[in-house]
Amino acid sequence: MTAALATDPAAVAPQAAVLLHAKGLHKSFGGVHAVRDISLAVPAGAIFAVIGPNGAGKSTLLNLLSGIYRPDAGSLVFGGMDLTGLPAHRRVRHGIARTFQKIRLFRQLSALDNIVAGFHIHSTLAPWQYVVHGPAFRRNHAHCRAEAARLLAFMGLETRAHAAAGSLSYGEQRMLEIARALATAPRLLMVDEPAAGLNAAEVETLLDRLQMLRRLGLTILVVEHNMDLVMKVADRVLVIDYGQHLFEGAPAQVQTHAGVIAAYLGGETR
Amino acid sequence: MSSAEATPPARAAHAPLLSRPTAYLGAMLAIALLPLVFTDAYWRTNLIICAINVMLAIGLDFVLGYAGQLNLGQSAFYGLGAYVSTLLIMRLGVPFWIAFAGAVAFSGLAGIALSLFATRLRGHYLAIASLGFAVITYQILLNWISLTEGPLGIYAIPPPPAFALSGMATIDFGDLAHLFYLVAGFALLSYFLLDQLIRSPIGETLTAIREDEVSAASLGINAAAWKVFAFGVGSAVAGAAGCFYPGFVGTLVPDAFFVTESFTILAMVVVGGMGTLIGPVWGAILLTVLPELLRGIGDLRLVVYGVALTLVVLFMPGGIAQAARLALGRLRRATEAPR
Repeated sequence: MTAALATDPAAVAPQAAVLLHAKGLHKSFGGVHAVRDISLAVPAGAIFAVIGPNGAGKSTLLNLLSGIYRPDAGSLVFGGMDLTGLPAHRRVRHGIARTFQKIRLFRQLSALDNIVAGFHIHSTLAPWQYVVHGPAFRRNHAHCRAEAARLLAFMGLETRAHAAAGSLSYGEQRMLEIARALATAPRLLMVDEPAAGLNAAEVETLLDRLQMLRRLGLTILVVEHNMDLVMKVADRVLVIDYGQHLFEGAPAQVQTHAGVIAAYLGGETR
Repeated sequence: MSSAEATPPARAAHAPLLSRPTAYLGAMLAIALLPLVFTDAYWRTNLIICAINVMLAIGLDFVLGYAGQLNLGQSAFYGLGAYVSTLLIMRLGVPFWIAFAGAVAFSGLAGIALSLFATRLRGHYLAIASLGFAVITYQILLNWISLTEGPLGIYAIPPPPAFALSGMATIDFGDLAHLFYLVAGFALLSYFLLDQLIRSPIGETLTAIREDEVSAASLGINAAAWKVFAFGVGSAVAGAAGCFYPGFVGTLVPDAFFVTESFTILAMVVVGGMGTLIGPVWGAILLTVLPELLRGIGDLRLVVYGVALTLVVLFMPGGIAQAARLALGRLRRATEAPR
């Protein structure tokens, strides 16, 4: 039934500016409906935030979008291409990158090597060069490292290039995850709670970088708990609760929406 | 500030002692000299076993130390290489080097087949599945008597054919020194090929899979496919090692490829240092030579062996490679300090 939904071109064609279009996503684990009939359309070049209380299904939704989970129902179209049945590693090739709420760096590798691993999907190296390292191999090697150093510097980690990823501070690890995701040259960057555990100064840096990336043409989907951050950077906000779509609109609307306040903000009015 | 300054010296401490070309030249020189130092048949035999074990250990290290897959089937791939090459030579009269190529391909494909079936298994489960493969292979070698002669074994297996060096001399592999040069040469070649792969993006890809598969997938890495690749390469190297064994011993019985051989190879990799290629080389040499040196104390040598292994795992989990790195770092700091 997913195929029938996916091959419905009329649903996608009129909205050329939509980069990621998910329709009727559904995922349950045993009897728990983690995500129920969620649809979303992420406009190209926007920062799109997904918010919701703990256990609302935000991370499950992100895992469905990135391909770690397969949806029980629903479809996913990215840049006009149906990615519904594609595994996670294939989606990256089409330009979807992500970070993880619970940091998943290659802890034993240096910060630089973490990023370098992200470049290889776009490698044009001839297979025999993996055994006989010729000039093209050395060029590729130097290029990957220079680009990785550039990404490190962009995220403010230039002094930490050779430190083991596991030895970095929490905030640095979050920045490094974003740098690593950027190495895959994405069109859509999905960041899962990037501000969790960051201090105020680090949150400022993060905000600044996300906005800079958007100016560079990247579309960003951010799952976040930090309402300040969402209000500052998001162009559009999707609120989910109990795995269901609750509200979608501009950040200012979210704060005044009665249902959202009841479900999410509760007494914690800001 | 302090962290930025501390980084470069810390890196220098990790730099290898020798440049790669120097190290390869040194290895060639060592290989050339070893049979001249050890002239009796007993020690030359051990040298050849060392070279075979080095191939088995680095082949396993590629799968275990880099791709992070606990493969306990190495004894089976070793045995398949030995039996496939010998049967091709003895039954079908295939020339040695063609049989060699066939056996390496067969072992590699067996590794690919095993990993395709086991692609969803990780850690202990993969270990059990690959151990099962080793047990099954051993049982087949033992019981398919019409093909393998079973426990009676295959006898009078000739060494690899001699070849004449354009008028100068004949290299006869019936000579243990010459056979050592051949096997050690292939061990060095295997090392070179694996080292090249490891220092290429393939090495970075395998390491990423070892560290975190979900994370690797988020970078576009197809972990299942790369694990199959690693298994194929690792088992092909084991198969190549197996090709040299029958012609050297002269007979072939399944007991040489019992599952305990897998654990011995695993011990070589662990004692040497997983995830470094040079470590398992030293591990293989140490665990081949040490039991021979301890032969004088009878069965007590197994106790010594066991205690040594336990001590390494407890106090030096990175193996010989880690110990050498620490010692080298200390030495460098000691020589740099009085400036």
